Parts: sequence; structure tokens; C-alpha cells
Amino acid sequence: MGKFKLFWKNNGIGYLFLTPWLIGILTLTAIPMGASLYFSFTSYDMFNAPTWVGLDNYLSLFSDAKWLQSVKVTLIYVLLGVPFQLAFALFIAVILNKGIGGLRVYRAVYYVPSLFGGSVAIAILWRQIFGGNGLVNNILGKFGFEGINWISTPDTALYTLIILMIWQFGASMVIFLAGLKQVPVELYESAKIDGAGSLKQFFQITLPLITPVVFFNLVMGIIGAFQAFTPAYIVSGGTGGPLNSTLFYTLYLYQKGFTQFAMGYASAMAWILLIVIAFATAIVFATSKKWVYYQG
Amino acid sequence: MKRSLLLFTMITLAFLLLLGCSSNEDDSNNESSDGGSEEQIEISFSWWGDTGRHEKYNEIIDLFEEAHPTIKVDRQFGGWGDYWDRLTTQVSGGNAPDVVSMHQFYVSDYARRGALHVLNDKVESGELDLSDYPEAALDSGKVGDDIVMVAKGITMPGFVYNTAVFDELGVDYPQSDWTWDDFVDKAYEIKEAIGEDGWAIEDGSGGQLQPLFRYFARQHGQDLFTEEGKLGFEEQVLTDWWTMWDQMRQDGVIPDAATSNEYDGLPLEANMFATKKVALLGLPANQMYLYEEQMAEGEINIVRDPHIDGGPNGEYIEGAYLSITEASPHKEAAAEFIEFFVSNEEAVKIFKTEQGPPAGTEASNTVIEELTPPEKRAVEYIQTTVDLSEPAPYAPEGVNELETLFSDNAEAIAFGQKSVEQAVADFMNEAKSILGE
Repeated sequence: MGKFKLFWKNNGIGYLFLTPWLIGILTLTAIPMGASLYFSFTSYDMFNAPTWVGLDNYLSLFSDAKWLQSVKVTLIYVLLGVPFQLAFALFIAVILNKGIGGLRVYRAVYYVPSLFGGSVAIAILWRQIFGGNGLVNNILGKFGFEGINWISTPDTALYTLIILMIWQFGASMVIFLAGLKQVPVELYESAKIDGAGSLKQFFQITLPLITPVVFFNLVMGIIGAFQAFTPAYIVSGGTGGPLNSTLFYTLYLYQKGFTQFAMGYASAMAWILLIVIAFATAIVFATSKKWVYYQG
Repeated sequence: MKRSLLLFTMITLAFLLLLGCSSNEDDSNNESSDGGSEEQIEISFSWWGDTGRHEKYNEIIDLFEEAHPTIKVDRQFGGWGDYWDRLTTQVSGGNAPDVVSMHQFYVSDYARRGALHVLNDKVESGELDLSDYPEAALDSGKVGDDIVMVAKGITMPGFVYNTAVFDELGVDYPQSDWTWDDFVDKAYEIKEAIGEDGWAIEDGSGGQLQPLFRYFARQHGQDLFTEEGKLGFEEQVLTDWWTMWDQMRQDGVIPDAATSNEYDGLPLEANMFATKKVALLGLPANQMYLYEEQMAEGEINIVRDPHIDGGPNGEYIEGAYLSITEASPHKEAAAEFIEFFVSNEEAVKIFKTEQGPPAGTEASNTVIEELTPPEKRAVEYIQTTVDLSEPAPYAPEGVNELETLFSDNAEAIAFGQKSVEQAVADFMNEAKSILGE
């Protein structure tokens, strides 16, 4: 049998089954990506043929104050939002894992915000909660504090979005819960016999054993946070305001591409984002050897 | 066995789904080979607006489909903000609607990039019969010598107030022929009367470049842009503008920056004017009746935008328009649709003054008999102010970027991040570089 025939015999069916996916990734991912890479080296207004400008788009990014602002906003969002969200998700997962009554109900309740994910409805709800006459200020008022318009004040707007992200901890919590279930009960039992308290148990047994799950959630969290768009778009009405304080990277990209007709520039931004995400992920992977512990 | 059966079913379904998608594409390809008038064709039409407008336009389209059984109209609608984002995406993706709603401020971005069909031939041949359009209305749809859009309705902006609110406050109504000094005086008077419960007026320093700031520039004998698409006003004009608003903001006559931001983009029934947080509102006249319906008591009246003593008028014709996209495979049907929309008697009676009274003389006469009092007031106002209007240069390419620059800098002043001088300098510099000066 020829090499190809052998290959086909062994793998043919597999590729056949893969066909729908292959078509999908080619037409919906690979070709558009190629096109966007090309556009990033051109000046392209989406109506007329692109003209080649080489590295101009990439170079002018660095003198664009709004671009720098969007980088800053996104980095704050990622660096604050992701760790806090993970810590919070783990905290709740540990509590739920203690075997309290009605676990299923809690699991569902905490997961619901994540289901709504980046939905428009939630972002609008958020605007209400943190608005001048919103829930937060009502509660503060009960304690005698005078609230501010959280979402409409440049100093606080981004942090309300970070809180929104932390609130959507459900997805990572469910994964943490699954991880916690895998920790062998015997370990806790022997630790108890040796007199370890619950804090010690957590840091000596639980955390090391679920580091693979932490690793997974961290990577997914970073990738997701870099690409966040909907909350800022809805909460700021698409402007990234007030005063560009919620101008997420993807929001600025969208503005450039779709309202200012600078698709070449926007494509260059997209590729920088891709590189940064790849770089951030690579760092997490590289350090993972030091802190991720795989059993067995 | 069961498992593989399930797998098989799923894969079959996936394939069918793919086939389904591709056969859809075939359908639309067939359609584009238009020609035979007997054949059923589909055109698409998009517009911006609120629920009330969507209902009216759907009614008009139903009428059109009844009168043209071979043409089906696919309807696409949404709010103003999303409309322009979506249209850009559609045009660039090659799937723009055949007939699109257009606006003077954005038309040149599309026309100069070749996305809109030039209608001169269709109008000359009478295929698109605009013979009873006044010269000025027809001209307002031109970019250069090309007719690229047809007016649905003509409107003019002004400041509206609710008589009940003014009576309650004990403040005299504003006079239609007022100057910016009168305007500022009136604002302080209102604030005095309204106290802690509200403000005189919304912050008008930023937001969109027109109509307010554009009027201000024109009243100085300048404009936003020159005919050549360069920046058309001097630094001093913008300095005066932002200084005036900044002073009112510092005195609490207009809302602080955070409050303004919070109310930004709220629907009509929740905005500052409808909830009586402010007593004056800058508004296109055609929308007056909506507030009269909403606010229940009092009359909504309108006065001209303030002017400068002895200066030229700021007015220029504004309206909402219909265009045919260059990529449309059904330009004939699209033209038929536009003509029906702007001149069919039944259609016009439904439209009334939805986006201003119809531009065509006959249609406009038909409509006048059907109006409610606030609509009548609006039409009278529009007719008076249209007479004062002078032509205005079209916005150059890049106007979207300029708008953002303008509102960013106005916001920076409002939040106390930049001084007026700094914001003016930043705006002028960057605007010039955007416009290639």
C-alpha cells in the first residue's frame, strides 16, 4: 500500500468527520485573519481598494494618545480583574465544596451571571445599579454616605466594570468546584490527624492540588479579559467615556474600524492585541512549570 | 451501536445545515440577475428611529408592497447610534440595503467614497419624479453636482420649552428672535427659579458638532468646514463657545459633567427635558409633538436658535433623506420605492411630519390638512426658518473623527481636565491634521 493510501485508511474517516470544522476554520477564521494581516499594512477605508503603506499603521499607534489610553485601561482591567475574579471564584467554590445544603441551588445561582456573560441586558442593569440614583447609592445613603455617579465619573467608571467582571465569576467557579472534588479526601483526614487547621489545609493541600485548574482558569481569564468589549460598549454608549476612562482596546479598535473607516489601522491594532495575548499566555505557560503541580 | 447512530445523525445534520446555508446564497444570487418585471424581487430598506416611527414606516411599506405585488421589501431598522455603525459595516461587506436612510452630516463620507448611486439620470428622465420639489430641497440632496439623496422630510432645529413648566417657574417664555446674550440671561433666570431641582438647559458645549456649534460658527460668518473640506472656523469662535458653556457649568446653570454623562443617550421619556430636570431643549422641530404627547400638560413651543446681534443667520436646510446604494442590484425598484415613499398620497398621510414635513410641494400640502396642533406648530416654524437658511458646505471625509475630537475635548473641559485654552489648542491642531492641513 502506498503511503497516501495508508494515511487515508488510518485517518481518512477522521478527516471526513472533521470536514465541517475544517470548512469553518478556513472560511471563518483563517482567510479573514490573512485578510486582516494584509489590511494592517494598508490604508483601507472599506469602500475603496486598500493602498500599501507598509508599517505606517503600526508606527503611528505609538504616537496616538487614545491608543495609549486604551492600552492603559485594558491593562488595568486585566491585571486587577483577572486575579480578583479568580480569587473570588475560588473562595466561593471552597465554601460550596464544604457540602452545605442546597449546593445545587447555589451552584446554579452563582453561575447565572456568567451565563448572561457579556450580555447587553447585564450591562444596562449595571448602569442602573451604579447610576446616580442607583442601588449602590441607595445602600450607601442608608449608612449616611453620599454617593457619586459611579459610572459617569472618570475615576470610578473603570472599577465598576472590573466589579462587573468579578461578579461574573460563575464559570471559573464551576471549574474550580470540579477541581476541588478531585482532591482525595484521605489527604485532609491525615492532615487533620496531624493537627493542621483549615487555613493550613487549604494552602498545603487544596491549593497545590488544584493548581492545574488555577492555571487553566488564569489562561482563559487573561484571554477573555483582553478581548472584553460589550460591557464598556454598552455602559459608555459606545464612546469609552467618561473621558475615555472605559476605552477598552477592542472598543477603540471598533471605533477606528467601523465609525472612522480606518480599517487598516484597526487591523494593525488587532494584530498587536493578538501578539500581546500570545505573549501574556506564553509567560503564564513558561512560569507554570514552577507552580503547577500535576498529580502522579 | 446507539452511540454511533447518534454521531451519524449529528454529522448528517451538520452537513444538511451547511448545504442549507449554501443554497440560501444561491437564492440571493439568482435574485441579483434581475430584469424580468414579472419576476418577484426583493429590495431592502433601512432607517433609524423609535418604535413609533418603525410602525409608521412599516405601514408605508405594506402599502407599497400592495401597490407593487412583484416587489417585496426587507425592513431593517434600529436606533440612530447603531444605525451608522451597522451601515458602515454593511456597505463595506457588500450587503448594504438597496435603499438607505441618509443624513447630510454623513452623506459625504459615503458619497465621496462612491458608495451611493448618483440619481441625476433617474431624476432627469422622470423615472424618479421630483418635479414638484423646491430647488432648495433638491439641492440639499446634492454632493457637488450629483444628486445622491432625496429628502423624506425637511426639518429645522430650535429650542423647545413647555409652557406649563415655564408658567410654574414664573419665567417669561423665550422670544424667537433672541441673541446668545438673551439666551445666557434666560438660562440664569431659569436656574434661579428652578433651584436645586434642576438646571436651565442641558450642556450643549460638546456632543455633536451640529447644529448648535455650527450655527454659532455660521453666525460669525464662518462655518465648520470650507467648500474644500478644510476647517472653516477660527480659534476664537471655539474659545468663545466653550467659555460661555464653561461659565454656566461653573455657576451650576447647566449640569455638571458626571450628571450630563449619566443622562447621555437615555430614551425620550427618561431624558432631562421630559422629566423636567431642564426647562429648555435643543431639538429638531419635527420631534416636538413627541414631547407634547409625553409630557401631558402644557404646550411645547419652539424658538429659533439664538443668534449674534447683527451677525448673519446660522440656518441651513436639514432633513432626513433616502439614497440608493451603488451596489444595489435593483436600482429601478429602489427608485420606485423612493418615489412612492415621498409622493404617494396615502404614504404621505402616514408619514405626516415624522422626519419633518415632506419636501415635495403637493405632498406637503396634503399633509398640512392632517396635522395635530403641535405638528402644525412645527411645520409653521420649519417653513419660517427654512426661508432664513443659506446653503452649507458638506462635511468632508473624516467628519466622524472630528466629531469625536470635539466631544472629547468638550468633555475634558467639563470634567476639569483641560482648560478652555488647552482644549481649543488641542482641537485645532488635531482637527487640522485629520483634515490634512
